[in-house]
Amino acid sequence: MSTQKIEKEAASQLLDSLYLDMFHLIEDHTQSRINIERTNASGAILLARTRFQQGGNNSVSVAQIPTKNSTEFNALCRVVSASDEKNGNEISIERHAVEKSTGYVEPLNWFSVLPPMSLRQAASTFKDCIELLAESANLQRQLDAIINNISSMKQFIIKQ
Amino acid sequence: MLKSTIIDNRVRIRPSKKVLDFLANQKEHFTQVTDNVAKLMKTNGYDLPENIVILKDDGEIIARPKIDNVLLKKLIGDVPDPVIKKGKSHKQNEKPKQEEDGVDVEEDELKPVKGHFLYLKDCHWLNNTLSDLRKRKICEIFLYELIESSELILPENELKPRNPELEKRCQRLREEQHNREYHKMTKSVDAGLKYYPEDTISYQIKSLNKQIIAVAQFIFSVAAGFTFGFFGVNLMVGPLPFGFRILLGVMAALVIALAEMYFLAKKLHEYDEVLDAPKRKKEERPRTAASTSRVEALKPHSD
Repeated sequence: MSTQKIEKEAASQLLDSLYLDMFHLIEDHTQSRINIERTNASGAILLARTRFQQGGNNSVSVAQIPTKNSTEFNALCRVVSASDEKNGNEISIERHAVEKSTGYVEPLNWFSVLPPMSLRQAASTFKDCIELLAESANLQRQLDAIINNISSMKQFIIKQ
Repeated sequence: MLKSTIIDNRVRIRPSKKVLDFLANQKEHFTQVTDNVAKLMKTNGYDLPENIVILKDDGEIIARPKIDNVLLKKLIGDVPDPVIKKGKSHKQNEKPKQEEDGVDVEEDELKPVKGHFLYLKDCHWLNNTLSDLRKRKICEIFLYELIESSELILPENELKPRNPELEKRCQRLREEQHNREYHKMTKSVDAGLKYYPEDTISYQIKSLNKQIIAVAQFIFSVAAGFTFGFFGVNLMVGPLPFGFRILLGVMAALVIALAEMYFLAKKLHEYDEVLDAPKRKKEERPRTAASTSRVEALKPHSD
């Protein structure tokens, strides 16, 4: 009887901390979403500024992006499953250095040989945005796990 | 409607009557209280004992609680497959439970005033206090039992209507753009539009003049640079060999040409663009009227 009681107490305490953790995660997740929104918006504005400064809509356009018939190239940025399980991160972003000989081309050079400052800034902003997206995805996974844990903990406590 | 950015990303909990009752019953046992909770109790008519320390919100960041994963796995291991629930369905599941408790009806009547929510910090305080009380064997309540009946309010985007003035302006600009494109497209088809100023000889000569002037400026400045290198340096420093003078002249001219080339290219590019786009709408209006009449006038002639 007493062992059961102790166990129940431990379980309840665990559930409490799970709830608190859930609140923390919700806040963190919201914050990361806000960051994504901000970064994405500033990147879009920089892109628009590039087009505005270059004049017309031929300077930076979809037509310059390689199509099916273009030469193949490797992706510079990949989503990989992360190795650090400790922080609960499941995915991370891996970047490869630009190396023309092995097929890692610089995407900025599709638009011009000397890309304007604002275009370069926009590219780096969007790169940051990808990192933030990975962070947000990790948080969301953690949140899902916590919510599942909470519901199964509840079942456990009711059963006791 | 536009969604604006979330400003306050804090999770809020609207405390239920159960929480309030608990706070009221246990208030003698508290040694300290967060100011938010103190405010909440005051607005609901409960007085706090005077010796309680009120904690001010000092913006301190609270670390996430440590979760005993081993214990968690051990305990959950017995539970038959937890149905995978997403956040929403999870919340919906909670609601019927509240109704079963029977607190719901009272809760609605006694819902605390708006603006007094429990924040994360208060939850932490509540958790600490509860574990303290449990240690002192005063009560046997857990945090989850308290907040189960409370409402969780998630941070949300505010909805903002689009400014009607902006909408009007966008509409007008879009129309102008379309009109311009249409005129450009139909210029060669519609005889009435043929007599555009950019097609008359005087207009073309004018713009040609501009370009010629730009090129002439370039030539003049290069020539001046050469003259300076060829004669100027010779006059200043004394007699120099002829070959060296030529070299100096060419070098000076080259430097100036490089600088000037940049501006020339920029200017000519601008002209291109101006020539490309037909005139703005405002100037077109009377002209279109005039040109239609001209078409009518022309018709018998062309017949």
